[in-house]
Amino acid sequence: MAIDFGAIAPELVLTATAILVLMVDLVLTDQAKQLANPLSAIGALVALGFTLPLWGDERSTFGGSFVVNDYAVVFKVVFLVSLLAILGISWRYFAESRFFQGEYYFLLLVSFLGMLIMPSARDLLLLFIALETVSLPGFVMAGLRKRDLYSSEAAIKFFLIGVLSVALMLFGISMMYGFTGTTSLSGIAQALGQWGASPPPLLLASLLLIIVGFGFKISAVPFHFWAPDTYAGSPIPVAAMLAVASKTAGFAGLIAVTFIAFEPFAGVWAPALGVLAILTMTLGNLVAMQQRDMVRLLAWSSVAQAGYMLIPFGLAVTGNAEVNEAAVQATIFYIAAYAIPNIGAFGVVVAINRRTGYRSIEDFAGLGGRHPFMAVAMTTFLLSLGGAPPTVGLWAKFAIVQAGAESGTVLAYVLLFFLIVNSVIAFYYYLKVVWVMWMREGREGMAPVTPGVNLSLVTAALVFGTVLLFVLPGLIADTTVSTDLVAGL
Amino acid sequence: MTGFYSQWGTFALLVLFGIGLYALVMLANRIFRVNLPHPEKLTTYECGVDAVGTGWTQMNIRYYVFAFLFVIFDVEAIFLFPWAQILGNLDASSPISPTFVLVEMFIFIGVLALGLIYAWRKKVLEWE
Repeated sequence: MAIDFGAIAPELVLTATAILVLMVDLVLTDQAKQLANPLSAIGALVALGFTLPLWGDERSTFGGSFVVNDYAVVFKVVFLVSLLAILGISWRYFAESRFFQGEYYFLLLVSFLGMLIMPSARDLLLLFIALETVSLPGFVMAGLRKRDLYSSEAAIKFFLIGVLSVALMLFGISMMYGFTGTTSLSGIAQALGQWGASPPPLLLASLLLIIVGFGFKISAVPFHFWAPDTYAGSPIPVAAMLAVASKTAGFAGLIAVTFIAFEPFAGVWAPALGVLAILTMTLGNLVAMQQRDMVRLLAWSSVAQAGYMLIPFGLAVTGNAEVNEAAVQATIFYIAAYAIPNIGAFGVVVAINRRTGYRSIEDFAGLGGRHPFMAVAMTTFLLSLGGAPPTVGLWAKFAIVQAGAESGTVLAYVLLFFLIVNSVIAFYYYLKVVWVMWMREGREGMAPVTPGVNLSLVTAALVFGTVLLFVLPGLIADTTVSTDLVAGL
Repeated sequence: MTGFYSQWGTFALLVLFGIGLYALVMLANRIFRVNLPHPEKLTTYECGVDAVGTGWTQMNIRYYVFAFLFVIFDVEAIFLFPWAQILGNLDASSPISPTFVLVEMFIFIGVLALGLIYAWRKKVLEWE
């Protein structure tokens, strides 16, 4: 039982970086503590350097519970790029306020370590450990603004609901083990296949309990209650991390569980997740329309976006590899196309909020005149979240429609109908922010926007990425990352 | 279906019997006991010693930190025992080399020790 160290190299690098950052924090004092940020960024870059050569490989280690294939590599690249972007928007924000910087960067790296494990895990226990590694640092990071009641509220809500969801999921896992006698995903798929058309109700209950556990992580309605309050109370870079990276990790786990382990029962979970998708996007968009606080608007918009990402799950059919591949492909494309502009949007909010404390939509008035670059960037990001050209968001929505057409069931057309209606609703509140930024005059005596070099660079890179993927969507869409996964690897 | 009802019927009988027994015992207690109220009897029982303060007394946060550190190293011990048992049975012919297993555990202990160093540098070990 030799361990394939090449396959786990990115995780090892991130672990070493996390420990190093914690130790460096103990040695350094005051101003020097912000060196933890570039150190973390170097670690993320090295991990990225170890991840990219794994592209095209098929590796399996730890008795088949840890798999590296193109599916895992795509997610790992998304996570590491998100980590770099979040480090970029965190630096000044955390250095200028009196935060516990060393602890923040340590917790951030540990959380991303869990995320890197998530798309590789092919065993319920490893998936559970990965999910916990993602969540536990998140609870602490949400409460990092000590003595701020909103931050404490964010942390306690996130913690209580997170622990509850994990308990439900563990209960489901234990029953699933009782029914199938294994925790490996492909083993479960085999065992479930033998139940045939009349599975016991308790088996279906345990299946749905496991899915509910992930439902909390991706903040799907009706498991979304924690999300808006937690995003609004956390430090803004942490909100960006929760809205993008943590949600992506939830989807990585959910895809593995549903499309590998529970594939024989797609007839049960696909309609359930389809209904959740409709509820999630509709409620998320309707509530987002009412928001005045920019972070809360982005929080509710991220709830709605989770609904879009759930649509392909509603298309899954047992045994139809073609439709399932198209569905997984559409979800992965949508996740990548959502991560880039959403981190960017949070980055612009950090730029506006830092030093000034501005966070309502009114505070963005006249941004076009005060800081044209940030206004252009925010416009690009919001258009992409809505799904308008010239941004990648257009192709993301297109990929979902394409997967729906491939499936061609009645449920698929119902889902696509709701997707289109909701896209129109979403444009109302995205464009309202754009209108406020360009058409309204700012108040007298507003503090100037000072984003800083790091934040500007990251924002520019994300704008570039948003537009580049519009021109060349094939960079993600033409890959065949979902083939291995649907084949059960 | 009869099997279902007879199984749950047994359970229902057990529940009813339990409730009945409890009611009977409490009733007998009420009938036969002597009743001598005294304010002393209403105080909190604390190992036979007089209770100090109320239940809402604030504890020093340091107790919490020490409890935390204790739990961490307690859990470490849980991992150490099975590890030691397995390590003793390994030799050159086993599929995994004993040296590797030994180094692995010391990495684990090392990471935990880093936690202790962190606690020490953050001055939570000092009782001021």
